[in-house]
Amino acid sequence: MATLAIGSLLQNPRLSSPRGPKLLLNLKPLRSLDLGCSPHRKLLCFSDACSSNSNPCGKFHVVKASSTDTAPIDSFSSADVLYEQTFPVNRIEKIEVPAETDITGIDTLVFDMITSGDNHFVESRNGAIPKLDPPDSTLLCELCWILEFPQPQSIVQAWSTIPENHCHQTLDTQASLASQMLLLQASDSSDARYSHQLRRFPTASPQPPFAVTLKHHRGHHKDRKSSDSFDATSNPRQEEGREKKKNREKREISAISLCDFITVFPLQAMLKKKNKEKINVVEGKLLIRLDQSKDQLNWRLTIGCSLSGKWILHWGVSYVGDTGSEWDQPPKDMWPHGSIPIKDYAIETPFKKPSKDDTFHEVKIDFNPSSAIEAIHFILKDEETGASYQHKGRDFRVSLVNYLEDDGNMIQAKSSFGKCPDAVEQLPNMVLKAEASCDSKNENRRLEGFYEEQPIVKEVSVGNMVSVAIRKFPDAANIDLHLETDIPGDVVVHWGVCRDDAKTWEIPAVPYPPETTVFRNKALRTLLQPTGNGSRALFTLDEKLDGFLFVLKLDDNSWVNFQGNDFYIPLSSARSFTGQSDSESEETSGKAHTDGIINEIRNLVSGLNSEKSLQTKVKEAKESILNEIEKLAAEAYSIFRSSTPSYPEEDSDADDAEPTINISSGTGSGFEILCQGFNWESNKSGRWYMELKEKASEISSLGFTVIWLPPPTESVSPEGYMPKDLYNLNSRYGTIDELKDLVKSLHGVGLKVLGDVVLNHRCAHYQNQNGVWNIFGGRLNWDDRAVVGDDPHFQGRGNKSSGDNFHAAPNIDHSQDFVRKDLIEWLCWLREEIGYDGWRLDFVRGFWGGYVKDYLDASEPYFAVGEYWDSLSYTYGEMDHNQDAHRQRIVDWINATNGTAGAFDVTTKGILHSALERREYWRLSDQKGKPPGVVGWWPSRAVTFIENHDTGSTQGHWRFPGGKEMQGYAYILTHPGTPAVFYDHIVSHHRSEIGALISLRNRNKIHCRSIVEIVKAERDVYAATIDDRVAMKIGPGYYEPPSGPHRWSLALEGYDYKVWEASS
Amino acid sequence: MEVSVIRSSSQAKSSKTELGCRDLRFCFGKSNDKNKIFSRKANSVCFDSQISRFRKAGLRFTLKAVHSDPILESKSPATSKSLDRLRLFVGLPLDAVSDGNSVNHARAIGAGLKALKLLGVEGVELPVWWGVVENEMGKYDWSGYLAVAEMVQKAGLKLHVSLCFHASSQPRIPLPKWVTKIGESQSSIFFADRSGQHYQQCLSLAVDDLAVLDGKTPVQVYQGFCESFKSTFSPFMGSTITGISMGLGPDGELRYPSHHKPAKSGTITGVGEFQCYDTNMLNLLKQYAEANGNPLWGLGGPHDAPTYDQAPNLNSFFKDHGGSWESPYGDFFLSWYSSELVSHGNRLLSLASSIFGDTEVNVYGKVPLMHSWYKTRAHPSELTAGFYNTASRNGYEAVAEMFARNSCKIILPGMDLSDEHQPHDALSSPESLLAQIRTTCNKHRVEVAGQNLASGAPGGLEQIKKNMLGENPIDLFTYQRMGAHFFSPEHFPSFTEFVRSLSQPELHPDDLPSDEAEATESVQTSSDPNIHLQTA
Repeated sequence: MATLAIGSLLQNPRLSSPRGPKLLLNLKPLRSLDLGCSPHRKLLCFSDACSSNSNPCGKFHVVKASSTDTAPIDSFSSADVLYEQTFPVNRIEKIEVPAETDITGIDTLVFDMITSGDNHFVESRNGAIPKLDPPDSTLLCELCWILEFPQPQSIVQAWSTIPENHCHQTLDTQASLASQMLLLQASDSSDARYSHQLRRFPTASPQPPFAVTLKHHRGHHKDRKSSDSFDATSNPRQEEGREKKKNREKREISAISLCDFITVFPLQAMLKKKNKEKINVVEGKLLIRLDQSKDQLNWRLTIGCSLSGKWILHWGVSYVGDTGSEWDQPPKDMWPHGSIPIKDYAIETPFKKPSKDDTFHEVKIDFNPSSAIEAIHFILKDEETGASYQHKGRDFRVSLVNYLEDDGNMIQAKSSFGKCPDAVEQLPNMVLKAEASCDSKNENRRLEGFYEEQPIVKEVSVGNMVSVAIRKFPDAANIDLHLETDIPGDVVVHWGVCRDDAKTWEIPAVPYPPETTVFRNKALRTLLQPTGNGSRALFTLDEKLDGFLFVLKLDDNSWVNFQGNDFYIPLSSARSFTGQSDSESEETSGKAHTDGIINEIRNLVSGLNSEKSLQTKVKEAKESILNEIEKLAAEAYSIFRSSTPSYPEEDSDADDAEPTINISSGTGSGFEILCQGFNWESNKSGRWYMELKEKASEISSLGFTVIWLPPPTESVSPEGYMPKDLYNLNSRYGTIDELKDLVKSLHGVGLKVLGDVVLNHRCAHYQNQNGVWNIFGGRLNWDDRAVVGDDPHFQGRGNKSSGDNFHAAPNIDHSQDFVRKDLIEWLCWLREEIGYDGWRLDFVRGFWGGYVKDYLDASEPYFAVGEYWDSLSYTYGEMDHNQDAHRQRIVDWINATNGTAGAFDVTTKGILHSALERREYWRLSDQKGKPPGVVGWWPSRAVTFIENHDTGSTQGHWRFPGGKEMQGYAYILTHPGTPAVFYDHIVSHHRSEIGALISLRNRNKIHCRSIVEIVKAERDVYAATIDDRVAMKIGPGYYEPPSGPHRWSLALEGYDYKVWEASS
Repeated sequence: MEVSVIRSSSQAKSSKTELGCRDLRFCFGKSNDKNKIFSRKANSVCFDSQISRFRKAGLRFTLKAVHSDPILESKSPATSKSLDRLRLFVGLPLDAVSDGNSVNHARAIGAGLKALKLLGVEGVELPVWWGVVENEMGKYDWSGYLAVAEMVQKAGLKLHVSLCFHASSQPRIPLPKWVTKIGESQSSIFFADRSGQHYQQCLSLAVDDLAVLDGKTPVQVYQGFCESFKSTFSPFMGSTITGISMGLGPDGELRYPSHHKPAKSGTITGVGEFQCYDTNMLNLLKQYAEANGNPLWGLGGPHDAPTYDQAPNLNSFFKDHGGSWESPYGDFFLSWYSSELVSHGNRLLSLASSIFGDTEVNVYGKVPLMHSWYKTRAHPSELTAGFYNTASRNGYEAVAEMFARNSCKIILPGMDLSDEHQPHDALSSPESLLAQIRTTCNKHRVEVAGQNLASGAPGGLEQIKKNMLGENPIDLFTYQRMGAHFFSPEHFPSFTEFVRSLSQPELHPDDLPSDEAEATESVQTSSDPNIHLQTA
């Protein structure tokens, strides 16, 4: 019946237009598979995996794509609804493929979506989808990909990224193959790829669609009517699957050996042949073995996979007595070599081959059965494709103790196994393969070893390939270039060479391969020589040439090019490759499966994508000019603004003098506006400090007064929240010198700088005699007395923790005098050495606020804010109106610090979530008619925000309702409290709206203690006046400020919000 | 015919300064006819291109003689409409240079210039203040302005210089100290209103030819200033500097300071006051009255005019029906009052064009847009400002004729104003007034360049676009003004949008490589077989 199930609404604001159609996408965060820890994480898991056949315990909204209706459909009968989302879908335009055409053979159908201000563009890599609006209205800033999977359990997936943000993740491009619905975009991602896509901007006639649906471009689906595909209620799935299975065959390409450099291009040919095979199904086995190790004490869990690929085990544990489905990070002594922690609840361990001859990749986990670990949970990830493999849509779970409840997804239970994102087609397959290994093991009251195998099906698209291998013989002046393709029939290579980056075609000197003719003095044409399952040719080229260019002409007179451009093989890279060839070729030849080669080589291809054609350069130049203009303007603005000369003539509104400013560390001047200067991806480039420095004046010019920088210390996790040596300030964000330089620049443009300090926990350098990591090194070489005593994982000898425990690392015992003294010294050192003006304190739930007071009294920051984040109150899944208990906990903490620090107003964020996404604007007034968050009780200490690196960015643990960000900002930037704006938003298309709100706040001198009067808090509208100078409303409902003594003039207006200023 | 008329008048003017030149003109006088024939055959496009070819060959004098009407035109072929090129300037901060030898917020300006250049803006406008440069009589300190000119040149932008012989209150840039000092003892060098209050931001036009400045007349002092400017900036003339605005009065505009009391915000602008009460003005009035045989009319201004911020109907002078402005006395007074303004304009513009006439820069003068009360019959705001323009009389004829006579162009501010955003009760109509002035200028072949009044007027950018791209487009526009607001996030993005929307369709293909690329690309994609499949 309905076709489009969307796990969650697109959370990235940039993709949704304030007006016009809503773009509805799932945002797949980088670590979306870090599941199982919280409702939100769980959700992400589904957004990734819900296309699987099995039983995700979530409630999805199913949207009939053929109409604008939305209807919540409880698609899976499950009691624990974790997340629910409704959203409008407008104007879904269908584009139908004519019946006689067939895109079989197209590897990917890639569409780019670019959002620019209110305009959205869709383009396809294959050149067909036209833009919506003039392409050059403002800055192009957005890129995303969407995939849809076959109905009925379809899913849209998307990544979105901003250029500065470094792209995230590899999308399984094969998945698009499997999909029979629209693919808006799909691609593996890298900066290079991003720009590559931009270049392919078509200029065809304007068309409205946001989401474009292509149907039936698989040849063997032709028997179905296209109009049915959305509403088919009969169960075509099995039928279809059977058919597909029939059509599948294994395809192997012989390995290419002894190569210096191999490039394999996935083809995008338009092949007219029906039933052309393009899916390669590799079936393999997943084995799970639990056995006792030789010493009879420890047990070992072995997880193996017979498929080649870069497999990663993403796993965690749960302890006896845990309720809920959250994972914990396994204790350090369980970590196999090479494991890396993922946040605080999981680790990832790569599979290894025990020996060269083994076909299995394995991970071995040793553990002690006497520990309190109840079960090990895991999923498999394929790093190459980004796909994840789950068990019936949930974690694999290996029970280690005997009194487990069978909740249906334990390994021992009867199970089928599916590859998550695109497993739908394989459903019958899996049913067939499901192993009847159902037994009653979990009823046994003893832990016992077991061994079992799960079938695993990995689907790899092969399409057709063109492989290019370059070989350079040490003594020869020539390069040998082998070109091989599995395209059947006669294939003519239309080729030339080039000597410069401009890729101007040239005809090289002889010799040419046999069957070569000169084509109009411009190029050469060589007919490939047939081989067993394809054809090939060998070209001998002068090594001085820069590149080899070609396109293929097939026997049906169609042309094959590389994503719209000529294939380009840089020969210079071959030169540099020489010498290190042997090891590589050996590994390549060792692979049994062709898909392995293909996948490995795909990385090289994405490198080639970044080769820029002349046209891109122009396009990019244009864009960079716009960026440059913006940067320059920002610089000019910040100087002009700060150096507004004072005129001798008195200001007419001198009576409007600013209230006296009291600086305190809890509030700053009271007029602060905070900018979070990083996101979860900022560590990726390794030069964030330098990148941010370039934006300093821009940020200042937007009106911010304080910027929060990422944690500076050496850290076990790249994002910096697992600090190790506190005095080592060389991090993934840059070196200490770059940091100092950045701070200086920020000060230069008038910004105060907050350092993100992690005081709650610290990762150890050494193990104690029990092998527990709790001995520290570096300048602060504490021993286990510095670790709290009540966390069994770390065997600390300190006192009981004064707050909640953070399980991933040793929690610091702040009750120890030496610890506090050292930390104070460290904070003062940071103040002095780096020039930080204040602090953002990480995870302050973990220790008593009174210690924070000590730290702040001693380090005398200009401003400080703590992260006290716990869950809001829910009853039966619905957020309580009264969140007093939640905000009371935050206020209590602030109180404990004696008001020396503010705290992030998590309550307000949570209430905004419900108010905006469910149209429950009445929530924004508490029982006493005050703002319901911390800001209603202790505004001067409330740091209001709508998103940060944890809640949003690529983690998305608790993402602000998509498309409503500006309402959120209209609220926090007009209200008392100290507003904080998230980096991702100021580099999004919201930027100018946010800038306007900030300058309105500054202009009207709204500060953290401003008086807010709530005028309306109804179902669909919330309105308030602030300090009698500013009136605002959010929500679709009607509100206009009354024409009373004030003359209100509309100052700002956006999607569902308005702000007025009083003019006297 | 018009051409020759104008030629002769301009001859008369320039003959004052340069005899050789005059001869030359006569020599070539005959060839003018040929050219006229030629011009009749072809349209102005050909004509212009012909001229520019001449110019490149270095035959500037020839040109002048051949065709004196478009002398200025010929100097800058880019202005010709045939090129269909809009030229956008942006004003630099008023206080870009405020003490002679240093540039204020140079870094910001530097960044701003770069941004503007990248945006495709043609150039910037630089106010050059008398009070900054000539701190001692006859001694000029141009260093700060030279520095700005160099920055502009480096940035690859053009420069339009506004010579400001007035003072500014915000930011505060006074007249030269020595002038102020003279004014202290001799307040009659300033305008005065009926209550005897002096307006000290610029000299009264009545003293133009009186030796009130330490033995020199203001016109002589202005001349010295302009000549010094010309020689100092000669390396930039014609290359970087493409235009010069001659300061003509309050705010540089050709007008009386009739509205110098700032209107309170939210209230409607009043009618303003006549400024004919300083001794010298009264003297002139007296002479004029006597010469006209009405000595009694020469004793003062109209007694029944309202004051600054009053509405027209508060007294009888400006009344729509039966107001004294329509009486013979009214006509007498207004004719004199306005003609004094035009003569003043003529004095300064002929001075400017005689000095800059042999360079390649265009000379401009600024005419105000006194749009309030335009919908009344009397147009009181215009009358007090010195424009005898009523429902029955086109007061801009004389003004345009004077500009034409001096081969100068007019800058009209207020192109951002639209009727719909005016207070309803103000009976104002900026759009109609603009249209009237422009029609009059067209008639006299005076080119009009645009300017906005204030950045941020509601709908301002749209209105400007309408004026620049509509029928009868303006091809040169100066956008006011660079500063904090200009680059602010509220304003700059919309300005960027505005500029791009202006230049996009008109830019030369060379300047728009991306369009080209897109074009090529579309060709490519359309040859892509996939297209059919996906769009079909």
